[in-house]
Amino acid sequence: MRAAWGLAVADFRERTRRPGYLLMLLSAIGLGWLAVPAADAHWVVLDAGGRRGVYTGAYVGLVTALTSALWLTFVGFYLVRDTVARDERTGVGHLLASTPLRTAVYLGGKFLGNVLLLGSMAAALAATTLALQQLRGESRALDLPGLLAPYLFIALPMLAVTAAAAVLFETTPMLRGGLGNILWFFVWMVGAVGGQSPSAPLGGIGLPHLPSMSGGEFSLGLTYVDTPLRTFEWPGLALPPSYVGGRAIVSVMAVAVALLPALWFHRFDRPVASRAGDVPVPPSVYRGLPRTAPAYGPGLPQLFAGELRILVQGTPWWWWLGAALLFWLPLAVPPGVALALIWVWPVLLWSRLGTRTTTFLAAYPSPHVRLLASWAAGVAVTAALGALASWQLPLPFAAASLFVPALALLLGTLTGTPRTFQALYTVWWYLIINDVVSLNFMTGGLPPSLVGSAALGCLVTVLSVTAVRHARR
Amino acid sequence: MLELLDITKVYKGSKRAVDGLTLRLGPGLHGLLGPNGAGKSSLLRIAATVTRPTSGQVRFEGTDAVARPARLRRALGYLPQDFGVYPNLSAREFLGYLAAVKGLSARSARTRIDELLELVNLTHAAKRPLGGYSGGMLRRVGIAQTLLADPRVVIVDEPTAGLDPEERVRFRNLLSDLAADRVVLLSTHIVADVESVAGRIAVVKDGRLRFAGTPDELLRTVDGHVWEAVVPPETELRFRTTRRVRVPGGIRVRMLATAPPLPGAVAVAPDLEDAYLAAVHR
Repeated sequence: MRAAWGLAVADFRERTRRPGYLLMLLSAIGLGWLAVPAADAHWVVLDAGGRRGVYTGAYVGLVTALTSALWLTFVGFYLVRDTVARDERTGVGHLLASTPLRTAVYLGGKFLGNVLLLGSMAAALAATTLALQQLRGESRALDLPGLLAPYLFIALPMLAVTAAAAVLFETTPMLRGGLGNILWFFVWMVGAVGGQSPSAPLGGIGLPHLPSMSGGEFSLGLTYVDTPLRTFEWPGLALPPSYVGGRAIVSVMAVAVALLPALWFHRFDRPVASRAGDVPVPPSVYRGLPRTAPAYGPGLPQLFAGELRILVQGTPWWWWLGAALLFWLPLAVPPGVALALIWVWPVLLWSRLGTRTTTFLAAYPSPHVRLLASWAAGVAVTAALGALASWQLPLPFAAASLFVPALALLLGTLTGTPRTFQALYTVWWYLIINDVVSLNFMTGGLPPSLVGSAALGCLVTVLSVTAVRHARR
Repeated sequence: MLELLDITKVYKGSKRAVDGLTLRLGPGLHGLLGPNGAGKSSLLRIAATVTRPTSGQVRFEGTDAVARPARLRRALGYLPQDFGVYPNLSAREFLGYLAAVKGLSARSARTRIDELLELVNLTHAAKRPLGGYSGGMLRRVGIAQTLLADPRVVIVDEPTAGLDPEERVRFRNLLSDLAADRVVLLSTHIVADVESVAGRIAVVKDGRLRFAGTPDELLRTVDGHVWEAVVPPETELRFRTTRRVRVPGGIRVRMLATAPPLPGAVAVAPDLEDAYLAAVHR
């Protein structure tokens, strides 16, 4: 247990000392502000049959804990799921693997580290909640137990589930990469929607008795309201033994899920596909400097080819199989259906844009040309995949082919990780599928001219950010 | 050709990595020696245009390379201490990509890459993904990329880390040849890496220049200041020792002192390691 705790604390310290952590805390504070709006605001997060609770300590605790159970579980997964990969990347994993540390203890430490990080965000949210309660002024009575109980029984178990899922996904071969990032969105969606039901197993996300207070009507999620809601007195979270037991079981199950990969986790002993070092080295002597003087010329085609290679190499075989099927799909189904699939399938490839670099390039010329070549490679992949399907909507297809890789390049360059684009783009398509026409760049409310302009905007932003970073290097 | 003038680099938290350091580098091999944390890598990153100095100038053939780094970058081959590669590309593909970034024509790049792969003894593994390379092989890929565009300025940071003795010898020969008509700046904390090849040596510590000159000039700074004596193992020494070897009858110690430090100590000819340690601890 001491080793697991040591791992967790080291992990927590490593992650909280990055500039991005401050952004995470600010996001948590922003969540609080969303969940406890002013009395005349036109949005709510919790609508209990046209009513909301008076902002007592217990109610603001409830509503912000529910908000974190709903949204921190989604975003939090992407924030914490790099811990095992980082150990592998930095070589720390090999150091740990050479110690007597047991695999289950390692996984337990990683799980605890994730819980600590997500818990610190929840703590920032709780502190914000306390301040907001005083600021809104509907009830200034200090009720710390009432405020914190929902965090303990609603937020914490859900964050534990998220922390465990992150460990499980990171240590399971098929789920380790971008596929896992996309899958989490659907797992989360099913959990978030199904978990609000009174009949959800083990109490779902943790509030089965709210609908009965509101006459059966209730909605959880950011909602626009025409007129501010009426208020009621929330008595505080009831804690019958069955409820507390259900939350405890959820937490224990989270621990079990986190430890489950001990059955298959590689412990950083992954076989390398090609051991170039195994090839016998032929005898060789130093014969002096190369004789051919380098000649400069039009290098753009080679640069584009290089970027294309960087983009597609290492892509698993099943992706190529899917891409081949998608290419010919318009011959068998209406092109509209094929196009929708084409716009989702390359998400793992696009998300690599802007995130793959090498230290050498910092001292190489033409960083902007490189970025444009990288974007062009993303456009080429899109165009190739949709070559057969695009004839029906050539203009929207062309505009979107420019835009989506540009967006991926922008997010990749800004955040340095493919996860941002993967998460955002998956949500985007979820909204399109749910008829949010204003986001539909193929057959909906986004005209090609606007999409094309957005592509240009993304590119200009990427180039500007790179120029600023270069100037501040 | 390449001038680093009054360079200071202060990182966040007020850590002064380089402190008013000036170096003027002409053709030849310049060894940059210093202990870990002396500011060598920071200085090299500044010279390679990767990092901006907090103050001071980097001038390449009269051009301000901080404000306008493109000219130096076109003439530069830089091998950082730590670097990453694209693990799914082969060495040939990776070098081909970097050659394109440098602006080399396709035909010229192909021939040049073949020659460079032979130079670093990687022809046999050229088509294999870099993800399967050993540390020493990756270092050799790094060396090859340094020479892609036949650079006039070569900056290498701890280049021999991970190389086996045979490859180290090969690399030293390569640096000697390069230094005939190019600026070569080599940073290391291993004196043996520079003593046989460097025409000039700069010693830095705490971001400051402690010495700059030829190896002979560095040696002369400790002429008559190096002593050896055999002492009992438990002897407490008040002088800086540069070497301790257990021998029958005690420990043979090599010391730096301006006068005989112990009864029976004999003056010996200094080597570059003695001179380096004296410069660092002066």
